[in-house]
Amino acid sequence: MESVEYISSDDENELDYYSSDRDDSNDDALINDDDDDRSNWLPNKGSSSKVITKESLLAAQREDLRRVMELLSLREHHARTLLIHYRWDVETIFAVLVEKGKDRLFTEAGIPNPESHDPVSLVSTSTMMCDICMEDMPSCDMTKMDCGHCFCNTCWTEHFIVKINEGQSRRIRCMAHKCFAICDESVIRNLVSKRHPDLAEKFDRFLLESYIEDNKMVKWCPSTPHCGNAIRVEEDAFCEVECSCGNQFCFSCLCEAHSPCSCAMWQLWTKKCRDESETVNWITVHTKPCPKCHKPVEKNGGCNLVSCICGQAFCWLCGGATGRDHTWSSIAGHSCGRYKEDREKQSERAKRDLYRYMHYHNRYKAHTDSFKQESKLKETIQGKVAILEGKESQLRDFSWVTNGLYRLFRSRRALSYSYPFAFYMFGDELFNDEMTKEDLEIKQHLFEDQQQQLETNVEKLSKFIEEPFDSFTEDKIMEIRMQVINLSVITDNLCKKMYECIETDLLGSLQFGIHNIAPYHSKGIEKATELPVSWTAKQCAGDKRKRLEEPTTGGSSESDRPSGSGSSEETDFPAQKMARTDGFGGGMFDLNLPAEVIDRN
Amino acid sequence: MVDFSRVQKELQECNKDINVSGISVNPKSDNLSNLIGTITGPVGTPYEGGTFKIDIDLPGGYPFEPPKMKFATKVWHPNISSQSGAICLDILKDQWSPALTIKTALLSIQALLSAPAPDDPQDAVVAQQYLKDYQTFANTARYWTESFAKTSSAGVEEKVGKLAEMGFPEALVRTTLEAVGGDENLALEKLLSG
Repeated sequence: MESVEYISSDDENELDYYSSDRDDSNDDALINDDDDDRSNWLPNKGSSSKVITKESLLAAQREDLRRVMELLSLREHHARTLLIHYRWDVETIFAVLVEKGKDRLFTEAGIPNPESHDPVSLVSTSTMMCDICMEDMPSCDMTKMDCGHCFCNTCWTEHFIVKINEGQSRRIRCMAHKCFAICDESVIRNLVSKRHPDLAEKFDRFLLESYIEDNKMVKWCPSTPHCGNAIRVEEDAFCEVECSCGNQFCFSCLCEAHSPCSCAMWQLWTKKCRDESETVNWITVHTKPCPKCHKPVEKNGGCNLVSCICGQAFCWLCGGATGRDHTWSSIAGHSCGRYKEDREKQSERAKRDLYRYMHYHNRYKAHTDSFKQESKLKETIQGKVAILEGKESQLRDFSWVTNGLYRLFRSRRALSYSYPFAFYMFGDELFNDEMTKEDLEIKQHLFEDQQQQLETNVEKLSKFIEEPFDSFTEDKIMEIRMQVINLSVITDNLCKKMYECIETDLLGSLQFGIHNIAPYHSKGIEKATELPVSWTAKQCAGDKRKRLEEPTTGGSSESDRPSGSGSSEETDFPAQKMARTDGFGGGMFDLNLPAEVIDRN
Repeated sequence: MVDFSRVQKELQECNKDINVSGISVNPKSDNLSNLIGTITGPVGTPYEGGTFKIDIDLPGGYPFEPPKMKFATKVWHPNISSQSGAICLDILKDQWSPALTIKTALLSIQALLSAPAPDDPQDAVVAQQYLKDYQTFANTARYWTESFAKTSSAGVEEKVGKLAEMGFPEALVRTTLEAVGGDENLALEKLLSG
C-alpha cells in the first residue's frame, strides 16, 4: 500500500507547485521578470503576438475595420456587422466576396444593400402608425432603419433592451417579420442610452469584445485573477505566449505552456495526475474489501485464506467470509470455483500500466522539481556576478552566466514536458493503430537517445552553473565559462533535435490523429508586445467625458454604474472567457465616433 | 409589463373576421395576459371539422418576447406533443418578431396543421408514424379530432352506443371507429364486412 500514499502525496505537492507558481509569479520565476538583463535573452521587439488591453481594444480592431470599409466602401457599423458575422476573418470575407458576390455577402451578414439605402427622410408633420404598438405616432418619434422598416422609438427601445438582455447584442435584428437586417449600432446606442445608460454601455462593451470572443486569433489571457488583457497571435494558433502580466500559456488550450506535449496529451496527463486513476486501479486489482469492515485488504503472501486486521477471515479467491480452519489448498467448509486466468491477466496489466506511469511521472516530476530549484538560482547567481564584478579581473563580461542560466531553464522545461509526451506517444492509449509495434519501438529508441543526450547535458550545465565560481581563481572561472558556453550551445541544439524528431518522425508520421505542438524557440516563449493605444483613443476619452456631462445622456459615471443586473449575457459565456473581474467601460473608447471622423482628425 | 393596449387592439382586430378566418381569441379571465385562442381544423386534413383550443400566455415582454402557446385540445400531429400540447414552431421561438401578432401566430399554427414538418418533430412517435405509415397516422389524427376536437365529445359515445345496439361488441366498435377515424358509416361497413 506504500506506493499508493507515495503517489498521492506526490501529486499534492505538484499541484501546490503549480498554483503557487501562478499566484506569486513575481518572486518565483525569472521567466516572469522584467529585469534589464533579460533583454539579451528574449526578443521584445518584432514579436508577432500582441497584448490587447482594454485601452487598446478599439485600436486593435481598427485595422480590420478599415480594410473592410475600404474594400467594400462600407460605413463602420456595417463593416463591424460583417466582421462579427464572419468572425473577424477578413480573408473569409474576401473569399465570400469573390465566390458569391457583394449582394450575397451582405445579405448573409444582415446588411441591407448600401446602394438601395436612401437616407432617413420622414415628413415631420404627418403622423404614422407604428405596427408594433398599433398607435399613431408623430413621425419625429419614429425611426427608419437601414432596411427601410420604420417603427416608433418606444418600441425600438423596448426591442433593443430585450435583445441586449438576451445576450444578442452583436446581432440585433430588425423588428419586421422575416427581415434579417442587423440594426444600426448608433441607433441602438442612442435610443437605449436615453432609458438605460448603463445598458447602453454594456452594449458597447459587448460589441467591442466581439473582437476577442468571436475571433479565433484573439483570446483572453487565462490568468487568475484576470489581468484584463487579451492576446492576439498572427497566423499560427499553436504557440505559447507570455502576456504582459507575466502569465505564460499555451494559446491553443489556454493551459500552462506544455510543449512538446500536444494539447490533447497534456489534458490527459493532468487529468491522470489529478485523479490518480492508476492508484485507484492498483487498489482495485491488488486488494479486496474485507467482508466485515469493508476496508481494502492486500494479500502479502501465503495461502488463499486471508485474515483482515479486524479479525475476519475470508477467501482471497471469492472474497467470501470463511472460518479459520484450512489447509494449504482448501478452506474447511468452503469451496468457490476455480482459478480464473482473466483476473490474473488483468492484474498483470494493471501492474504494468502503473509502473509505466510511475516511470514517466517520476521523471517528469524530477525535472519540474529541478526547474523549481533552479529558478531560485537567479538571485544567487546575481550575487556571484556582483562579487566577481567587484574584483579586479580581466573578465568583464558575465552575460555567459545569465545566458547559461536561461538556457538551463529553457531546456529543463522541454525535458520535463517530454516525459508526458513520451508516455502517450509510446503508450497504447492514443496511437494504438497508428503504426506497427516494431516501427514504434525503433522510433522510441531514437527518441529516447535524443532525450538521454539532452538530459545528460542539461545536468552538466546545471552542475557548472551551480558551482561557487565567485570564489574561484580566474583560470578556473575561464574554464567554467567555456563549459557553460559550450553546454548552452549543445543543449540548445539538442532541444532543436528532439523537437525535430517529435515533429517529423513521431507526430508527423501519424496517419489518423492530428497532434500539433508549439514549435521550439531558442529564445523561449514569446513575450507578446503591447499594442500601442492610438491617440484616437485618448481623443475618444475626452469626448466621452463631455458626453457624459450632458444631462440628456443620463450622466452615468463609472462609480455609479450598476453591475448589470438582469442580463443573461454575462453568464452565457464560457467561464474562462469571463473569468476577469473588472469590466471594460473605463471611458477609454467611444463608438459614437465613426472611424472616418477619427481618421480625418 | 405586457403592452395591454396593443393586446386589446389585437383582440378587437381578430374577432372582427372570425367567420372568415375561423380564428378567435378571448381572455381566459379578467387578466389580459392569459388568453384562449380557437382555430378550426383546415379543410381537407384529418383535423377538418375540429375546433382546437390553444392556451396563450403573454410574457411580460410581449410583444418583444414571443407569446407562449400550447394546445389545450389533444391533437395527433408530428409537431405537437400528444402529451402536453407543446408546439414546435419557429416563430414561437427564435424567429418571433414583434411585428407578428397573436392572430398571425394562430394562423401559422393552423398552417402547421395542414403542413406538418415531420423532419423537425416535437412528438417523435407521431412523426415516425407519419413517415412510415401515413394511413394509420391520418386515421389516428381523424379519430383524435373526432374524440377531442368536436364540440361535444359525446359524439363518439353516441356512435359507440348506436353501433353496440346493433349487436356488435363494444370493444370491437371502439377499435373499428378508431381505425376509420370516427366515421360512423365507414365503421358500420367495416363491421358488417367482418
